[in-house]
Amino acid sequence: MSDTTSTTTMDDTLRYELLEGNGPKGAPTGDPVMSVRNLRVSFNTEAGVVHAVRDVNFDLWGGRTLGIVGESGSGKSVTALSLIGLLDDNAHVSGSVKLNGEELIGKSDEEMSKIRGARISMIFQDPLSALTPMFSIGDQLAEALLIHNPDMTKDEVRKRCIELLTLVGITDPENRLDAYPHEFSGGMRQRVVIAIAIANNPDIIIADEPTTALDVTIQAQILDILKVAQKETGAAVVLITHDLGVVAGTADDVMVMYAGRAVERASIDTLFERPSQPYTMGLLGAVPKPHMPAEHRLVPIKGNPPSLAAIPAGCPFSPRCPMATDECRVTEPELLPLEEGEGHLVSCHHMDEIRDKHLTYADVYPALEPLLPKWADVPRDQRPVVLEVKDLVKTFPIQGKGLIRRNKGTMTAVDHASFTIHEGETLALVGESGSGKSTTLMQIMDLVVPEEGTITVLGKKTSELKNARDRRELRRNLQIIFQDPMSSLDPRMPIYDVLAEPLEAQGWDKTKINKRIGELMYLVGINPDYVDRFPSQFSGGQRQRIAIARALATSPKLLLLDEPIASLDVSIQAGIINLLEDLQVQLKISYLFVAHDLAVIRHISDTVAVMHLGKIVEYGDTEEVFTNPQDPYTKALLSAIPIPDPKVERTRERLVYRDGKLIPASSLLPKSLK
Amino acid sequence: MEEQNNKDEQLTNAQLELQADAAGPGEVKRISYAGLIARRFFRQKSAVVGLTILAILVLLAIFGPFICKYDYTDPDFTAINVAPNARHWFGTDGGGFDLFACVVHGLGRSLVIGLTYAILTTAISAIVGTAIAYARGWGEKIGMWLLDMLLVIPSFLLVAMIVRAASGTQGWIMLILGLTAFGWIGYARTLRTMALSLRERDYVRAAKYMGVPSIKIILRHLIPNLGSILVIDTVLCVISGINSETAYSFLGLGIKAPDTSLGYILSQGSSAMLSAPWIVLIPSVVLIILCVSMQLIGDGLRDAFDPYSRAAGEVADEESKKDEAKKAAAAAAGNAAGSHHE
Amino acid sequence: MARFLGYLAKRIVNYIVMIFVATSLTYFLACAFMSPRSNYESRTPRPSQESIEASLDKANLNDKTPVTERYQRWLTNIVTEWNWGLSPAGDSVNNEISSRIGASVKLMLLSTILSIVIGVSLGVYTAQRQYQWQDRFWSGLASVFLVIPTVVLAILIVFFAIEINQQTGQRIFYVTGLSSYDGPNFFIGLIDFLQHILLPTIVLTIISSVGYHLNQRTYLLDEMHADYVRTARAKGLTKKQAIRKHALRASLIPTSVNVAFSIASIFTGAVMTEKIFAIHGMGEYFINCINNNNINGAVAVAAFSGACTLLGALLADLFAAALDPRIKMS
Repeated sequence: MSDTTSTTTMDDTLRYELLEGNGPKGAPTGDPVMSVRNLRVSFNTEAGVVHAVRDVNFDLWGGRTLGIVGESGSGKSVTALSLIGLLDDNAHVSGSVKLNGEELIGKSDEEMSKIRGARISMIFQDPLSALTPMFSIGDQLAEALLIHNPDMTKDEVRKRCIELLTLVGITDPENRLDAYPHEFSGGMRQRVVIAIAIANNPDIIIADEPTTALDVTIQAQILDILKVAQKETGAAVVLITHDLGVVAGTADDVMVMYAGRAVERASIDTLFERPSQPYTMGLLGAVPKPHMPAEHRLVPIKGNPPSLAAIPAGCPFSPRCPMATDECRVTEPELLPLEEGEGHLVSCHHMDEIRDKHLTYADVYPALEPLLPKWADVPRDQRPVVLEVKDLVKTFPIQGKGLIRRNKGTMTAVDHASFTIHEGETLALVGESGSGKSTTLMQIMDLVVPEEGTITVLGKKTSELKNARDRRELRRNLQIIFQDPMSSLDPRMPIYDVLAEPLEAQGWDKTKINKRIGELMYLVGINPDYVDRFPSQFSGGQRQRIAIARALATSPKLLLLDEPIASLDVSIQAGIINLLEDLQVQLKISYLFVAHDLAVIRHISDTVAVMHLGKIVEYGDTEEVFTNPQDPYTKALLSAIPIPDPKVERTRERLVYRDGKLIPASSLLPKSLK
Repeated sequence: MEEQNNKDEQLTNAQLELQADAAGPGEVKRISYAGLIARRFFRQKSAVVGLTILAILVLLAIFGPFICKYDYTDPDFTAINVAPNARHWFGTDGGGFDLFACVVHGLGRSLVIGLTYAILTTAISAIVGTAIAYARGWGEKIGMWLLDMLLVIPSFLLVAMIVRAASGTQGWIMLILGLTAFGWIGYARTLRTMALSLRERDYVRAAKYMGVPSIKIILRHLIPNLGSILVIDTVLCVISGINSETAYSFLGLGIKAPDTSLGYILSQGSSAMLSAPWIVLIPSVVLIILCVSMQLIGDGLRDAFDPYSRAAGEVADEESKKDEAKKAAAAAAGNAAGSHHE
Repeated sequence: MARFLGYLAKRIVNYIVMIFVATSLTYFLACAFMSPRSNYESRTPRPSQESIEASLDKANLNDKTPVTERYQRWLTNIVTEWNWGLSPAGDSVNNEISSRIGASVKLMLLSTILSIVIGVSLGVYTAQRQYQWQDRFWSGLASVFLVIPTVVLAILIVFFAIEINQQTGQRIFYVTGLSSYDGPNFFIGLIDFLQHILLPTIVLTIISSVGYHLNQRTYLLDEMHADYVRTARAKGLTKKQAIRKHALRASLIPTSVNVAFSIASIFTGAVMTEKIFAIHGMGEYFINCINNNNINGAVAVAAFSGACTLLGALLADLFAAALDPRIKMS
């Protein structure tokens, strides 16, 4: 593998990396701690050989953070796992990974185990499953220390454990050592995982989507802790994420991956200022900006990321790329410097054109038909109210977990929530997990008679619904779209049956159903010839379109959307957002949009209700809430959103909501232990 | 396609997607689900072997009586207790009955009992199990209490009480009814556990919110999505049906003379094990081949439905899936514990 | 602690209700399907009608008495005197059962322990060698044993034991009963007992260890791919260490629940094995009851089995709570 060509690329890789100076820390200096060259990983699977990583090169320096950005299936996580030798046994790895000059590829599990946890450590995506449920936090921390330092005494171990927990911001560490993982929240568990990762002062910390599973305010805290951990250990950090906002605030250098390859690599500021690969441009253009009002439509990238088992010929992005020419569909471009003397590498056949004409995503991507003004014919306040929720209360009995499920009292999930939605209007219900937003949604969907307050759908109070027929009648005008399109379509049903189901439930006849299904498929942009296909033959974005088509089948007046884009890839989200906007204007549907992603909400909603612990703490026009929030919790929430702009992200001060007060986040960080 | 795309600048979002569809990277491979399962099934050698053996046994059970000169009901008094020979391929027993005729007839009985029992049991348990899961609230509580209550007393004992009344040539029908009467309970409990996660799936909730009636949701969504489990269960149920037939008939409770079955032949032969070992050995071998072939088919189906079960070291599965599997395994263990009496 | 006892009490009350309902249903079922009258009617010479009626009335088995009345009397006897009734022949069910429990316990105890130890060890061993030849061999063998009817297995083992006896010309294995030596010498008695218990123990051990083996293998394989095992490896444990220290512990929880269930079966015995090896335990007693139309005996065995099942369920709950920190007792 290491013939002459690879030595020259190695020089090049390093040479260009040393020029990456357009970030907060300037250009890297000194020798890298880790050098990755020509890394290739493939798996044998039923679908054929999957080339998950193809010729990836990079170096890591102590104290610097490399952000690896990509969508699902881009090979970013496999790259991370191959650095630490935790790939599955059926993975075939080639190339070179050198840690301080020591080759790691080819080492046995025993040899790697001496390096793992001591010199390279890792933080995983899902903190809820990353800790062994049977062992206490203290035992799991101590194990990380003792495995590499068997001579440590019990007292030393305990002292170090307390030190580590303090460092990651866990209060009362002495007592928390004996707690079990299930007694901790997700954010707390992630802190423990970080403590384990830094226990032995590693040279390299790999963080694989460390905050994806967490709420936005917790995410901000974990990212801060990660910075503290890096400062404390002087380690090089590899941050793997799909969230451009997270990268903007954390990384020094960024590598964008697509279909197993790096397609663009630059210093953080360069990448955001001048994305030069069409995919990177599209990615940045497709993301709604939480810090700017929504004046333009999002520009979606058409199509879907390729499956790694069937990477298209030529440039893997060519089927989706507006600039693609015949050359792109034949040969795959190499990662080359955009300008001599700058550390900005781009993989595109049209690189010269992009550079010379200073093309941006607005030039590259075709503009969409502008959205018709929403309130053109009838102004908003003259439109009828389709949903009114007044003083809604929902409580749950709290049951003790475990063997004895005794009632510990009641928890108020929704506490006197009130809001109204007019025809054709979008109300966003925002909140973190446990805020009661989903419960509110389900109360409306179930058409229950609330414990307290009233729910009025299209002028009918739920308490006045007498029988199943009344409810079914109302359901025609009230539909829901769920978060996960994988689970919202029955895998055993062809699309025709999926779309026919709501119509059959309303007693439509066959010919009318046939006609309607054709209309619906066209409406959401799915080829109507595909009606016989099963959901598994569609991509995530297409499935969500089908779910939208199903919800629209009976021409409802009100659509409830439960995090409809949260589980979709970034490049696909924009398409769904646009579709929802189009449909709203065309059909005058009202949306109740439940989400945690504030950027999306700012883009799509007219009014916002912020929920916190069951209460609506702030309710008003979207722009008003975003630009001039009144409630301290709203302020904290807004300040926690990662912003996909490194300069903004670096300069702003985060606020944290504690017991009804706002405090600067920096005051919460543990003092460095020196 | 791409040029066009750039020419007519102002596209609607849906049009853009439709174009992406048309120019999409690959033709979607159109293979039906059943076709996919069949392909995965036939890729496994052991499963094909199992299916072949089973086919041979079924053919033997159907056409065996026509190629044998003797009937299982008329004894050959000139040959009592003779070892296998050219005239009596499997030998004869103490009453002069031709063992080949008896074994072939017994094999047919076993297959019919096993299959009927399996289908009935799976159907009942699927409907009851999913209905209880879908009912939620009090309906679920009461249903579960009743199932638990029915499982308190090992079903082996209850079935024995019923099938003892079976006699004559119609005894096998009674045996099937008796086995089914108490056989479905354990499976219903397992299937209810499986359905617990299904009922939380968004497509089930979506159907509910569309106003689809509960019965229709159960039949259209819950049961078809347990399909793979039901198919595997049915195959394994055939084995347990055959096992039960053998056990009850051996104890003198199931099939009795003048009818005959593999279990009955075993019970007759066990007293003459020293003098005429072929009487126990031949039906034993047939039973083992039959059960193992079913097991191979069941394993093959399981791997065909769940490709991850074979893929070495699969990347972390969905958590829920694991839980399901664990619960199912635990439930199966419970069932197995219950049947240890056999 | 008080709360725990309260929980336990609630659980036990629920179980008692369950046993009561289930046993009552069994009683009615038995009355519907069994006919003690035929025992007398088929006797030669046939007893007089009066004496048949008298004997049936004495045992509370007369089908001319309404079943509800018989049920009432039967229940009253149990509740007031713990008297489970008489067999058609007039023997006390209580006595018959208590004389047979011992044999069942002797038979089941050893095989239960052996099958747990062997089954769980094999499960761990094969799971760690998934898809290697050891796993293929042992798991393949287990799945064959899993499906072979007990009768066939037992008969084959008996057959080979007799062959060995004949080949060696000595009675190494006994294939019926639990003892044939009646003398005072303890060691001869012990060896005699072992010679008898060996074959049924082998049969029972094979049957139940394959269940433990295959389940333990599945549990461990599930846990081996859990995220926390990867975390443990990322700390610096080798794959083997991570499995041993983290995955194994978790995988033993469901196994221990299964073990708890099987403890109860020690008392109820094994119907087929007892029948084949002519061991006079509970299983054989049950079959005799069925064949002799002994309604009271059969229902008593069923009730006893039910009680053991629920005891097992209770134990399983406690095991799980003791082992899994996520399930807290209080």
